Amino acid sequence: MDIFNNMILGFTVAFTPWNLFYCLFGALIGTLIGVLPGVGPAATIALLLPFTFNVPPVTALIMLAGIYYGSQYGGSTTSILVNIPGESSSVVTCLDGYAMARQGRAGPALAIAAMGSFFAGCVATVIICLLAPTLGELALKFGPAEYFSMMVLGLVGATMLAHGSLLKAIAMILFGLVLGLVGTDVNSGTRRFTFGISTLFDGIDFVVVVMGLFGLAEIISSLDHEKKKEILTTKVSGLMPTRSDLKASWKAVIRGTVLGSVLGILPGGGAILSSFASYALEKRIASDPSRFGIGAIEGVAGPESANNAGAQTSFIPMLTLGIPTNGVMALMLGAMMIHGITPGPRVMVERPDLFWGLIVSMWVGNLMLVVLNLPLIGIWVRLLTVPYRFLYPAIVMFCCIGVYSLNNSIFDLAMATGFGIVGYILLKLDCEPAPLVLGFILGPMMEIYFRRAMVLSRGDFTVFFTQPISLTMLLAAAILLLMNIAPIVRHKREEVF
Amino acid sequence: MRIRIRNGKDFYAGLFFFFIGIVTVLEARAYSIGTARSMGPGYFPILLGYLLLMIGGGTAVRGLWLKGKGIKISSIRPLLMVSGAVLSFAFLLKPCGLILALLALVFISCLGSREFRIRYAVILFFVLAAIATVLFVYVLGLPLPLFWSK
Repeated sequence: MDIFNNMILGFTVAFTPWNLFYCLFGALIGTLIGVLPGVGPAATIALLLPFTFNVPPVTALIMLAGIYYGSQYGGSTTSILVNIPGESSSVVTCLDGYAMARQGRAGPALAIAAMGSFFAGCVATVIICLLAPTLGELALKFGPAEYFSMMVLGLVGATMLAHGSLLKAIAMILFGLVLGLVGTDVNSGTRRFTFGISTLFDGIDFVVVVMGLFGLAEIISSLDHEKKKEILTTKVSGLMPTRSDLKASWKAVIRGTVLGSVLGILPGGGAILSSFASYALEKRIASDPSRFGIGAIEGVAGPESANNAGAQTSFIPMLTLGIPTNGVMALMLGAMMIHGITPGPRVMVERPDLFWGLIVSMWVGNLMLVVLNLPLIGIWVRLLTVPYRFLYPAIVMFCCIGVYSLNNSIFDLAMATGFGIVGYILLKLDCEPAPLVLGFILGPMMEIYFRRAMVLSRGDFTVFFTQPISLTMLLAAAILLLMNIAPIVRHKREEVF
Repeated sequence: MRIRIRNGKDFYAGLFFFFIGIVTVLEARAYSIGTARSMGPGYFPILLGYLLLMIGGGTAVRGLWLKGKGIKISSIRPLLMVSGAVLSFAFLLKPCGLILALLALVFISCLGSREFRIRYAVILFFVLAAIATVLFVYVLGLPLPLFWSK
C-alpha cells in the first residue's frame, strides 16, 4: 500500500530529534499565546517567520503548524478556567466550560476538551492522509482556468469569516491583490507600482505586510481599549470525568469531529466556524436544550473537537492545491514560498518528505499536547496574570528585529510601520486584515493563471464557464456570496461575531 | 440640503478604497494594457482598480444612507507611541547599535500604555536587552551591532 509507505516516510521525518524538538517548541509557544488574550496565532507565526530561515523548510513548517493547533488547546484552557477565550475559536467553549468550572467541575471540562481535541486530531490526520493524495492528483489535471476559478472560490470563502460588511471584506481582498502586484512583472519586466523606489522592484516582502497588519496594528488597537481585568482563578481538582460525563460526551465528540473535518476543508472554514457550528448542532439535537449555557458537557466536547478537527483539515486545501482557506493558512503558504517551495499539487510529488512529515508531526504534536498540557495547567493560568503592558513592548521588539533581519533594511521597518498605521485605521473602520493577506499571497498567482487561461482560450472570457470544473467552482463561489447576502445568514453572522 | 454621514465606518472605509482604486487605475494606465488574448502588465491591475472604485464608491454611498456606528478612538497615544517606537529603533540601529535602539524602543512603546511607570520600563529594558543579546546576536547569529562602531 502506498499510504503505508508514505506514513513510514512521514514518521522517519517527524521523529528526527530536531523535528521533535521544534514540534514541541511550536506546540508550547502555541499554547502560551493561546492562553494570552490579545496575541493570536497569526501574529505569532508572522513574528517567528523570519527566525525560521536557518532551519530546513520542513522543520519550519512543523513548528509553525504546532503554533496553530497549540493555540487551540491554550485557548480552550482559559475559556474554561477564567471565562476569557484566548482565541476566537474557543469563544463558545466559555459558555458551558466556565459554567462547569463554577460548579467545581473544571477538571472534567478540561479533560474532555483535551481528549475530544486529541480524538479529533487523530481522525483529521487520517482524513488528510486519505483525501490529500486524491485531491492532489485531481489538481494536477487542472488547467489555468480551473486554477483561476479555484482562487476566486477561495477568496470568496475568505469573506465569509470576516466581521462586518461583505463589501468591505471584498474591498480588502482587492486591495491585497493590488499590493501583491507591486514589483517587477514577470511577463514583461515592467516595474509596477514601485513609484521609482528601488527597494520595491522585487515586490513588498510578505513578512513586512503581516508584521504591520497583524503585529503592530493589533498592539495599537489592544492598547486603545486597554482596561484592567479582574481574573478569578478557579481551582482545578480531580481531572477525571465521571462515567456519565463520558457517556454524555462521546457522541458529541464524534459529531464535532465530523462537522469540523468537513468545514475545515471548505474555503473560509477552519477552527472558528467549526466550533460555532458544532455548538449550534449540539444545542439543536439535545433532548433538553435548556441545559446549555449552565454547564452541559456536550457544549464543551462538541466545539472543542470541532475546532481541532477544523484546524487540522484546513491544511488540506493549503497543502494540495496551494489555496489558503484562512489567515493562518495564508501565512503558512507564505512561509513555504519564503523557503523556496512553490505551493500547489506538485508539493506532494516533489517533496513527499515535507508533506508527510508535516502531517505525522501534527499527530505527534497533538499527542504531546495532551500529555503535557493537563499537568501544566497551573502554569498557564498563572501566566494569564502577566499584564499586557509588559507583553507588548516585547512583541514590538520581536517585530522590529524580525523585519530588520529580512534584508537588513531600514526601509522595510518604515514600511512595516506604515502597514501598522494603515492596518489600525482599517481595523477602526471594521475592515479585517485577514482577507487582505489572502489577496496579497494569491495576487501574483491569480494574474498568471488569468493571463494563461486567456492566452489558451484566445481571449475568450467564456472559458471560465465552459470548463465543467471551473464552472462548478465559480457556481460554488456565487452560492457562497448569495448566502452571505441572504438575510437569514447575515443575521446569524451578526449573532455569532 | 446638508449631506449627513450616517455610518462613519462605512463612509470612510469606502473613501479609502475609492482612493486606492484611483491610484491603482491612474498608475496602471501608464503600463501597456494589451488585449484580452495577450494581456499587458496593465490589464489585471486596471481591472482590480475599477472594481475597487466601484466597491469603494458603493460603500461610501451606503455610509450616507444606512445608519450605523461612528468611529470611536479614545486616544491616539498608542498609535503615535508604537509607530514612534518602531521608527526610532529603525533610525538608531545603524548609528547607535542594538542596545541603544532597544532603549528607545522600550521607553517609547511603554509610553503607549496609560499605566506607564518608569520603574517598569527600566526593568523591561534590561530584560529585553538581555534576551535580544543572547537570543538574536549569540544564538541566532544575526548581524546586529550591539553598540556604535567607528
